[in-house]
Parts: sequence; C-alpha cells; structure tokens
Amino acid sequence: MEKYEKLEKVGEGTYGKVYKAKDKETGQLVALKKTRLEMDEEGVPPTALREVSLLQLLSQSLYVVRLLCVEHVHHHKSGKPLLYLVFEYLDTDLKKYIDSHRKGPNPRPLPSSLVQSFLFQLCKGVAHCHSHGVLHRDLKPQNLLLDQGKGVLKIADLGLGRAFTVPLKSYTHEIVTLWYRAPEVLLGSTHYSTAVDMWSVGCIFAEMVRRQALFPGDSEFQQLLHIFRLLGTPSEKQWPGVSSLRDWHVYPQWEPQNLTRAVPSLEPEGVDLLSKMLQYNPADRISAKAALDHPYFDSLDKSQY
Amino acid sequence: MDFDLENPLTHLHQLHSDDASLFLTESDHMLSPSYLHTLLSSPSDFAVRRDTVSFISQCCSNSNIDPHLSYLAVNYLDRFFSSQGVPKPKPWVLRLLAVSCVSLAAKMKQVEHNLFDFQGNEGFIFDPQTVHRMEVLILGALKWRMRSITPFSFIPFFISLFKLRDPPLLQALKGRATEIIFIAQNGIELLEFKASVIAAAALLSAAHELFPIQYPCFRKAIINCSYVKKEENEEEKLVRCLKAVEEIVINGHERGMDEMEERSETAGNVLDHHFSSSESENTSAMKNRGDKDGGKKRKVGYCNNQRVQTREIQQC
Repeated sequence: MEKYEKLEKVGEGTYGKVYKAKDKETGQLVALKKTRLEMDEEGVPPTALREVSLLQLLSQSLYVVRLLCVEHVHHHKSGKPLLYLVFEYLDTDLKKYIDSHRKGPNPRPLPSSLVQSFLFQLCKGVAHCHSHGVLHRDLKPQNLLLDQGKGVLKIADLGLGRAFTVPLKSYTHEIVTLWYRAPEVLLGSTHYSTAVDMWSVGCIFAEMVRRQALFPGDSEFQQLLHIFRLLGTPSEKQWPGVSSLRDWHVYPQWEPQNLTRAVPSLEPEGVDLLSKMLQYNPADRISAKAALDHPYFDSLDKSQY
Repeated sequence: MDFDLENPLTHLHQLHSDDASLFLTESDHMLSPSYLHTLLSSPSDFAVRRDTVSFISQCCSNSNIDPHLSYLAVNYLDRFFSSQGVPKPKPWVLRLLAVSCVSLAAKMKQVEHNLFDFQGNEGFIFDPQTVHRMEVLILGALKWRMRSITPFSFIPFFISLFKLRDPPLLQALKGRATEIIFIAQNGIELLEFKASVIAAAALLSAAHELFPIQYPCFRKAIINCSYVKKEENEEEKLVRCLKAVEEIVINGHERGMDEMEERSETAGNVLDHHFSSSESENTSAMKNRGDKDGGKKRKVGYCNNQRVQTREIQQC
C-alpha cells in the first residue's frame, strides 16, 4: 500500500473505513476501502473471490463507481490479512449536492433537466446491477457520487453480500438510515427482490425535487407511518399478503394523498413515474429497465448516455 | 449478490445492445502480445505451457470435474504467464501452479473440493498453506479479476442469431461448439483472438459440420451482427480464427480429442438420441476430414444426420 498516500478519512463505509488517498506515482485521487479478509482453512474464501470479481464486473458500467484495483496486504501489527479496494475518487455526492441547494447562501431548486438526467443515470446503473442479478439494498443520496464537471452520477457502496455480511448497524454503530427502505423490508419480508432498490430510487427522485427527504422516519415504526400517511395504509387488496408479513401490525387507516402535493414542482410525467416507483406491491413496482422507457425521459437526449 | 458465472450473458439476448458490456470489456482480458510471441518463438516456454496445461488436465481427471472448471483454470494460467512471464521449467513449480489455478477455479465455480483430490499420486503433494500462498500470488497477478470472460459467455448470444427453433438442434450445435473450444485450448493457435471471436468461429465451424446447407446463412448472421461489424478488421479476424479452428478440428489435438471422447453428454449423444432412426448415407465426408481411427464415430453420426436436421431448420 506504499503506492498510496492517505490524505484523510472520508467516511465509514458499511464495511469499514474509507480514506481519500493519492497515488504517489500518478497523483490520481482514489478512495481506499479497507476490509478484513477472513482467511480460514480454505485460504481466500470463495465468497470474497466471487464478490470482488463481481464488483469489478459491475464497475465497468459508467454509472457505477469504478473499482480500480484490489490490494491484498497484511496488517502491519497483527499480520491479519486485509483487502484494500481502490476506487476512483469523486469529490461530491448527491446528499451534499442537494444540501448545497437547500442551505447556504443561495438556496434554489435543482434544475429540472438535471433531476431528469441524474434519475436516468441512476436507473441505468441500477438496471446494470439488476441485469447481473445484483441488488444494491442501500441506495441513498450519500451513496450516489457526482462528477459535477461532467454531470455524471455513479452508484457507490455496492453491497458485498455474503463474504462481508451486511451489518444491521454500520461499522461505527451509527444508525443506518431507514428513509429509503422499502416497505416490504420494513415489514420484515425476507425474500426481497430488485424492487427494493426501485423504492429507494423513487425516494431519491422525490428528494431531488423537494430538496428534503420524502419519508424521514427515525425508527422502523415511524418510517412506516411516514409512508402510510402519504400513500395510504396498504390493504390486502392492493398488496396481497401484506398483513401476513412478519412485522405487520394493525396501523391507523390513512387514505392515500395526492402524490403531486409531495412534489408540487414536478411535471405530471414525473409524478406518474414516481407513483410507479412507489407501488406498495413489489411485483407492481416499475423495474429500472422499464423506467428508462418512461415518457418522463422523452425530452431527454438519450444518445449521450 | 447472485449471478450466473457459467452464463453471465443470460440477459444479454434479451437486453440487446444496451447491455453489451462484455463485448466492450473483453479486450481487457486479452493476453499480452509478448506472451504470444514467446510461445511461438521459444520452444522451452511452449513446453512449459503445454506441460502445465497437461498437469491441469490431470488435476481435473482425478475426480469427476466439470470441463468448464479446467477451462477456467487454464485461462487463469495463461493470464498468469501473460502478466508474470513464463517461469523456468521446474516441474514442482508447474505442478503447484496447476493445482492453485484449479483450486481458484473451483472456488469461483463453487465446486466443493478437497485440495488432495486435485493432486494425483505422482510425486508432489503440496500442503494447503503452500497452495494458498500461490493462490494469493495468482490473484495479485490477475488483479483479482477472476471472472474471466471466456468464449462460453458469448455462445448463447451468437446462437440466438441463428434463429433455430428446435431445442435438440440448438443443444447439438452448442455441444459441438463447446467441444471445439475445449479442444482448442490445449494448443496456442487461438490465444491471440478475443473470446467473442473464438465463440463465433467455433459455432460457425460446428454449424458447418452439422448444417452445411444453412451455413452461409449463419455466417452472414454473425458477420452482420453489430458487435462483429463495429470493429475494424473484426471480420478479417473472424475469418482467420475460423480457419485456425477448422485446422484444429481436422488435425485434432490428440490428447484433447481423447479426453473429449470420455466426456459425458456431448452433442453427439444428443443427436443420437434425437435422430436414432436416421439412415446412414454419407460417410465419405468423414474420410475427407482425415479421421482414421474408430474413436471418432460421433462425427460420422453428425454427417449421417444432416439430411434430417436440415429439414428441421427454419428458413433464414
């Protein structure tokens, strides 16, 4: 790892510390993610092998943060094996970008053409992951990195599923945000699918338009109530099987609100797409691939993506 | 985080051009020109590769192992030599490399295994720690890119261009193309070509054997395919690769052919089941192909069945 000069710790990723660093030779900025590699009697675990190589495959999409290389080292004191994943470095993310438009000296909406472009790129990246059978499971504005100069959005922090088991709490025990979590996950469904990511995409879409979170819950229960208050309490009719989910309780009965009221500045085609992303029944939720063909994107010059 | 390593393009034929990432990235998996050069110019380097490939075959022949696993192991080996240079011909180093490549391939393909299964009873038995250290060296050299893009990744895509309706025929074509790819890996003739080009050439060669009447049509479909058309000289490369494949098929790589004969459900079997009643009518073609021994019976089977097959094929 002498190749890199660590500049600063930029965060705690789901699986460990993340550093901003510089390639001493080329000056290129990179993000270093450190993960412990549990070696056992079979050597490098097959799951780690498979998942790192899958990350490499996925990162070949323009809309997924690029994994530049993998360095296998030993901890200088304990001698334990470590794996450094070296990613391209981008200096901002969608959360910071939205914050800069809400707070600060010059609060203003995000340009609607930019919202459209970011959403399209997000759907492209998600479609790419899904076409390889990979769920992200933790899409949120902090995980969407931006290259502001080029107007490019890239998905980061793709889950390393089994080799590095997904923690309930993050590495530093800070609370993992629930705001983008799909209702079936909140209700304890164990067989979730690509639709969980599309729910998150919908929440992110609305947040770009509103400049604040659509469902800012601070507990799983509150999170569900936020959702139910806007979209109505789900019924067996619209979502067969919902009341048999593990964590289902009896909830107050709310009627669905008009979605336009949550995103008043969004054009009707956008509201229609949003409503398709926020379908209760995962089977009814629009797929990333289908979203790319939605009329909301008709005015977008798709040839440049 | 599940995906089908065996068949990463399952979705490609549905997604068409908007997810052609494998075609775009297969160039990253090419071997270095200097490796190809050294294999051609240095008889000792050539022998090192040949012997290590043969060790890999031995590792895999001990247990009933999927031939795709040994294919992947040889692919790792070529990429390792390509990045690190061909080592001195020390038998124990080559054996260790062979065992480690097979072990890595088994991990990637989620094949339950025991390292001792891979190490026959011929002299060298490495302890697991030694193999694991070698694995880490190989991983570093291959930059942890263990999901190799191989010709098999492209077979379903190219086959879909043929618009064949009958599943047994598809199976036969796929089976024969797969055999050809396996056989060719023993030699070095195809190492210079991209995986997609090898896949296309193997399929065309198989189609030429199985469906000679439709062959021109298949050939046209592949050459007109946007991925082949897009790149300059791609058609010329395909033609060159096809010629190399044809030579391999005619000459056979002795060892490879023998192994193939032992492998279980092949294209031949499928056809034999499907057209067991068809009459023999054309064995002369086989003589032209230079087959001498009785071990090549299956090919005769292909030719016998041509008449029946061609009727089954959709006009294109």
